[in-house]
Amino acid sequence: MSTATLATETGQPPAAAMAPPALLEVRDLVKHFPMKSGLFGKAKAVVRAVDGVSFDVKAGETLGIVGESGCGKSTTARVIMHLIKPDSGSVRLAGRSPGAGGLTMKAFRSQVQMVFQDSYASLNPRMTVEDSIAYGPAVHGINGSDAVRRARRLLDRVGLDPLRFAGRYPHELSGGQRQRVNIARALALEPRILILDEAVSALDKSVEAQVLNLLLDLKDDIGLTYIFISHDLEVVRFIASRVMVMYLGRVAEIGPTEQLYGGGRHPYTQALLGSMLSMDPDRRTETAPLAGDPPNPINPPPGCRFHTRCRFAEAVCAASVPPLFVRGGDHAVACHMAAPGSGHSQAGAIS
Amino acid sequence: MLKAAPDALDGPIVRSPGYWATVWRRFRRDPVAVGALAMIAIIVLMAILAPWIAPQDPYKGMTLRRLRPPGTDGFPLGTDELGRDMLSRLIYGARLSLFMGVTPVFLALFIGGAIGIAAGYVGGWVNSILMRTMDVFFAFPSVLLAIALSGAMGAGIVNGLISLTVVFIPPIARVAESVTTGVRTLDYVDAARASGGGAISIIRHHVLGNVLGPIFVYAMSLIAVSMILASGLSFLGLGVKPPDPEWGLMLNTLRTALYTQPILCALPGIMIFVTSISFNLLTDGLRSAMDIKA
Amino acid sequence: MSESQAQPVLDIRGLTVTFSGGAKPVRALDGVDLSLARGEVVALLGESGSGKSVTLRSILRLHPPRTSRVEGRIIVDGTDVMALAGRALEDFRGKTVSMVFQEPMLAMDPVYTVGDQISEAVRQHEALSRKEARNRALDMLTRVRIPDPARRLDAYPHEMSGGMRQRAMIALALASRPKVLLADEPTTALDATVQVQILLLLRELQREFGLSVIFVTHDISVAVEVADRIAVMYAGRIVEAGPIRDVIRTPRHPYTIGLLSTRAAGGRLTGKRLPAIPGSPPDLANLPLGCAFAPRCTFAGDLCRTSPPEPVTLAAGHFARCYRTEETGGRAGAGERAG
Repeated sequence: MSTATLATETGQPPAAAMAPPALLEVRDLVKHFPMKSGLFGKAKAVVRAVDGVSFDVKAGETLGIVGESGCGKSTTARVIMHLIKPDSGSVRLAGRSPGAGGLTMKAFRSQVQMVFQDSYASLNPRMTVEDSIAYGPAVHGINGSDAVRRARRLLDRVGLDPLRFAGRYPHELSGGQRQRVNIARALALEPRILILDEAVSALDKSVEAQVLNLLLDLKDDIGLTYIFISHDLEVVRFIASRVMVMYLGRVAEIGPTEQLYGGGRHPYTQALLGSMLSMDPDRRTETAPLAGDPPNPINPPPGCRFHTRCRFAEAVCAASVPPLFVRGGDHAVACHMAAPGSGHSQAGAIS
Repeated sequence: MLKAAPDALDGPIVRSPGYWATVWRRFRRDPVAVGALAMIAIIVLMAILAPWIAPQDPYKGMTLRRLRPPGTDGFPLGTDELGRDMLSRLIYGARLSLFMGVTPVFLALFIGGAIGIAAGYVGGWVNSILMRTMDVFFAFPSVLLAIALSGAMGAGIVNGLISLTVVFIPPIARVAESVTTGVRTLDYVDAARASGGGAISIIRHHVLGNVLGPIFVYAMSLIAVSMILASGLSFLGLGVKPPDPEWGLMLNTLRTALYTQPILCALPGIMIFVTSISFNLLTDGLRSAMDIKA
Repeated sequence: MSESQAQPVLDIRGLTVTFSGGAKPVRALDGVDLSLARGEVVALLGESGSGKSVTLRSILRLHPPRTSRVEGRIIVDGTDVMALAGRALEDFRGKTVSMVFQEPMLAMDPVYTVGDQISEAVRQHEALSRKEARNRALDMLTRVRIPDPARRLDAYPHEMSGGMRQRAMIALALASRPKVLLADEPTTALDATVQVQILLLLRELQREFGLSVIFVTHDISVAVEVADRIAVMYAGRIVEAGPIRDVIRTPRHPYTIGLLSTRAAGGRLTGKRLPAIPGSPPDLANLPLGCAFAPRCTFAGDLCRTSPPEPVTLAAGHFARCYRTEETGGRAGAGERAG
């Protein structure tokens, strides 16, 4: 399913057309994992982890990606990083794909970096903190002592005293400190885009707030672009300027944070946001918006992936995949109720 | 969180003790492990200093004096079936027994380790080919394989070494492959790839350091097995040949004493037992010491 | 909620737990007092090192005896838990007090079907035939709203999705009709849409069965959704406790205030910085003298650093362990906007 480039679709006045093109363009990404069985590994079933994902990331923004188990957000991140090879689709950084058009994979890697969820597994237990951070620059040709200096400067930047922490090993640090080291390591190559894959999810709440503040400071100081993947809707609301909701390997909805949190258009978005818990003891949540568990991305339902749990589902929802319809501005919804003339009785109702 | 002055970055940093230093410190606190290490050290010293501490020539025997019990004048541990001093033969025997125990394992560590790490890192069909080949050898019980190879090549120390090395390469390769595969899927290897590191660089900096430890410990646990296998080979007439003193060989040749002086028969067995238990306890202690969790 | 005249179903006094497994002995709990009235839900809120899970495990006497020392008094339904042993202790676990864990995959036996496990648990405590126990298992699975319960009786844990497993675990925990349910972060590992379902289910079952529940969580909004009272733990002590409305709307301990202001920010502070508690969670092997929170506390004074504070009563049933409650009164909590 192809998508109109969100940044230039809506035929706005010339001033808007001169807005900078997207820094990162992801088009029709597909990644399936065959489940092997039998003596010679014949693929029996296929996990359709990412099944046609397209979106843009604008320079300087924070794009939040939310979704539940099996939605494919982590796989998407790893495919963007080219840690996993996509089955099809393209990723373009400032218009160029890595491995073609003058952009080597190594150069791409220095511009897009990632911070993982497990702060302990992300660091080589046998390397000191400064060696871990200096590894990337060293690989890119920066000589040893300069790389170490850069590492120490970065440690200071993320709030860890270099004299105290540079010579330490990961197991001597707390979770929050390790995650700061991971951020420093990701910044060592001076990237333009930082992907944060559940980077604060495993931290205590008090430490999480500190790291979030750090991320905001760094973004302002260096001018970074963030892709922030999380299952925590509150945190995403705080940090993201635009949010993308994924379901079973596809994009359900994407748009400015307040528009989504104010009342998204896709039934799944509404259900997801409706599952956020109340902070008022007198107004507790009384009903669960969705029943059952998020389904398995093996053998997903045909047509719209969500139709089996959607109370607005009709025949057309099972028959054809809804395209990502741009409602206006930055907001797009993949639902038959959005696009006029889609065949749904409510077509055009939510646009 | 203010920025430090630039020159402050070059100052002396607190350096934590490295991994092996920490392992040694933890190891030191385990009395059983330290005791085992001490025992092994004693046996090794005994082997090295054999020419100076052995009271008699281990090859010189007198048929008149055969099978004297321990406590006999001039022969504290008695004499063997050819009248040679048991104590001297046991002391000299440490040389060959330790050599036959340790050398095959270390050779196999290099060869099997390289095979396993390569297979584990590259994965795919290369892994399949290498590992299935290893499996073919691994399918044979080690004793049978050692005997078959030794028998085919003939008796002798070198042949014994070769056959034992071949026996140990597959298990070490398997362990190396599984540890490497485990490490390869960890996030920090992904992060290194994401930083632009190539395969060689990643193996050198990120994989080797984390993989050699467990492989080494596993290999050490095989030393005891190797000693016993070597003794077995000597016992069967393969491996070490008489009159060289080697504990396993001594067990064989002293069989005749089983009904007359059973103590003599037990002595080489006790040495094998003590040495292999010490190596086992040592590797247990090492394994615990190396298991440093956050 | 004033002090109930009825006997609390669970009463903990002076619970102190020390672990000696590591290099230095670690005091995981330091004089915890907690009481639970019949039919009440108390939330234990805290981060890592707070001691919330240790408290639950102490009630069921789950700590390894060799490396842990448990002192204090625990009375459940008139029984002195610390004095139980052998068969009496086994009877107590599951029948009087039961527990729901965070990871159902780890808490359930993977080689037995769900139905078998529930039946076995029931027959441990009651003299029922196989058939009766199986019926009870079916009944329980129906009550926890598992879809297609008859089929799930013969399902293995790994064949079920996360939410279903957690329902099965709840069925297992409630099968013998315990008086007290201990819930150790039962929804932490679940997706958002599933978490809501399980929380609602727990609320319903609590009403239906008249359960008394201690609910451990690190997420304040979960506490708000299920609890009548809340106890906030830090470094092995309860630092603030009281009715949920009081504590959430007028928190008085600086730690609680910090947690709530971070949480309450939500979308309203987009673009600005979160109010964050400085410093790191406490190292239980090296606790400071005085109040354990003092190194991170913006109100801390000299007295705070030298001696640990005793509970200060603030309102009916609401207390805080703090010397600075004068200053902390009047700070906004959740539900109140400070401009």
